[in-house]
Amino acid sequence: MAEEKEPLFSKKNRALLSDPLNDNNPITVQVLGICSALAITVQLKPAVVMAIAVLFVVCASNVTVSLLRNLIPSRIRIIVQLLIVASLVIIVDQVLKAYAYDVSKELSVFVGLIITNCIVMGRLEAFALGNGPWRAFLDGIGNAAGYGFILILVAFFRELLGSGKLFGEEVLGHKGKHMPIDAVGLDEAAAQLLDMSTGLYALGYQNNGFMLLSPMALITVGIIIWAQRYKNRKLIEK
Amino acid sequence: MDRNSNSYTFLFAIIMVVVIASILAFLATALKPMQDANVRNEKMQNILSTIGVKVDRDHAEADYKKYIKEYSLKKDGSIDKEVKAFNIDLKKEIKKDPEVQRYPIYIAEKDGKKYYIVPLFGKGLWDDIWGYIALQGDRNTIVGAVFDHKGETPGLGAEIATDVFQNQFIGKQILKEPNGDYTTNNFVSVKTVKGGAPMGDKHGVDGISGGTITSDKLSEMVAERLEHYLPYFKQY
Amino acid sequence: MELVNIFIRSIFIDNMIFAYFLGMCSYLAVSKTVKTSAGMGAAVIFVLSITVPINYLLNEYVLKPGALSWLNPAYGVGSKDEIDLSFLSFIMFIAVIASMVQLVEMVVEKFAPALYNALGIFLPLIAVNCAILGGSLFMQQKDFSNIAESFSFGLGSGIGWFLAIVAIAAIREKITYSNVPEPLKGLGITFIITGLMAIGFMSFSGITL
Repeated sequence: MAEEKEPLFSKKNRALLSDPLNDNNPITVQVLGICSALAITVQLKPAVVMAIAVLFVVCASNVTVSLLRNLIPSRIRIIVQLLIVASLVIIVDQVLKAYAYDVSKELSVFVGLIITNCIVMGRLEAFALGNGPWRAFLDGIGNAAGYGFILILVAFFRELLGSGKLFGEEVLGHKGKHMPIDAVGLDEAAAQLLDMSTGLYALGYQNNGFMLLSPMALITVGIIIWAQRYKNRKLIEK
Repeated sequence: MDRNSNSYTFLFAIIMVVVIASILAFLATALKPMQDANVRNEKMQNILSTIGVKVDRDHAEADYKKYIKEYSLKKDGSIDKEVKAFNIDLKKEIKKDPEVQRYPIYIAEKDGKKYYIVPLFGKGLWDDIWGYIALQGDRNTIVGAVFDHKGETPGLGAEIATDVFQNQFIGKQILKEPNGDYTTNNFVSVKTVKGGAPMGDKHGVDGISGGTITSDKLSEMVAERLEHYLPYFKQY
Repeated sequence: MELVNIFIRSIFIDNMIFAYFLGMCSYLAVSKTVKTSAGMGAAVIFVLSITVPINYLLNEYVLKPGALSWLNPAYGVGSKDEIDLSFLSFIMFIAVIASMVQLVEMVVEKFAPALYNALGIFLPLIAVNCAILGGSLFMQQKDFSNIAESFSFGLGSGIGWFLAIVAIAAIREKITYSNVPEPLKGLGITFIITGLMAIGFMSFSGITL
């Protein structure tokens, strides 16, 4: 086979990694894998864990299917692929429950939904069935990274604007308790409870709680697509 | 062998299923003790945190044994020795008739003081919410509370799981008059107040802005659960 | 009463698309015309209301901890040989779904060839439609007390999905006549409209019957 004589990171192989990040992004261009993803983009931490879990599942299933590609009977290939993906997801789920219990609670059913993440099945059908394991592995990394990139970007904006935090740390200053107008005559102990705001909040900035609700995930993605297509005009739909 | 023949397809499917099933069964059996321990330890950690004992999850069990004794109560407040309180699944228990329900209570002794910890369970806006609330020896003043939830809106209803919200309960009282009268007439519980509780309100905490329904459901849960323990509290 | 409550909640409040973003891939891909989207929506209703109850039975009598106690009381909850197969639920659910979808595909191909042609490659994709697996996983998480409740949940979720896709398809048909900024055309504007529709649906939250 000619492809095995190529250097590991030939130009063609590098494109497998870089294409899905922009020109062929699985979320914003191929419209795959949005389903299970957006509900966990309220905070950065679960989004990052989700991205890593998807990276693992896409790469491992791509390599497995690619290794088995000459053995799988074509009539039952979809169910075989589903079986492989489902078992990998079960492995992720079980390991998370045992070693990262807090995260597994946050992701709840959405770990299971990686199975039906269209990126996974899409890459298996479109790529892994016809390519060698190394190329399938790179393709998996590229696509999962393109997916994770959008996921983390959305989560970044939602957590920052919605709750003024990143990874649960307050980055825009501390939001003190709202001081009611009739609180002037308070005794000292009560006044201490009303700790004052710092940072941006001291200037009157407020969190936009709306960013935390599900509709804003969709609108954020919509705006990201807008920005991307504005820069990269060949992606514009006619 | 012909890849499209029936026998090959069957053979492939059988091998595949056997291999995958054995891998998964092995993994699940190997990890199960750790997963169960996580669930148990988290419960212990939650119970301990209401009386101000902060431990990390892996060390919760030792401290739990040191501080906590557990009892199951009947409806009239007497202790049922047959049922182990820690194993009661409130989610299932709460669906039973109040007459036959068993009410778990955890009694802690720390630095010579006695605390009564009541487990809570109820419905939030989207899904289950639960928690623990600890009362002082007077069985009236709250010393700590933890809440958790399955699917409340992150950043809104889900704020019930934050320290900021939970710490508000400290020092609040569940009785109208702190005179040891444990009848339902004197029982007011602690309520969340939309827009913020007034200064010095002994029975109110600030509700969560944008999470009013979750806050209300939480008040309901606290009142509903605590009320069942009044007969027991009366006995002392 | 509980049944009606679950039904209404799963259509309007816990809407698959607007609250959980499930089934977005086919939602975006098939929503260009009302006719095809109605077909797709009907297929989802059908598959959801079959698979959720089946998976409920599977969960109740095979998978969940102690579920095998009908075989031998020694396998029940709390006894020494308690059997917990819940780690297999993903695989079992997806297998049931895949076979049910295959069945639906064959039925549609036989009795409604026009619809079959219109839906093209999307019918097999229902198997990997997140809404279907999501329905079963939520069913497991919500711990319904009987099969009627799970059916009501499956049917309601399906109808909710149907409403969402037909509504967006109708809007997309009209929007082709509007002057949308070029980079926003197609996908971008669809996302934003879906977001706006989700805001509308949020006004249902908190309803109990």
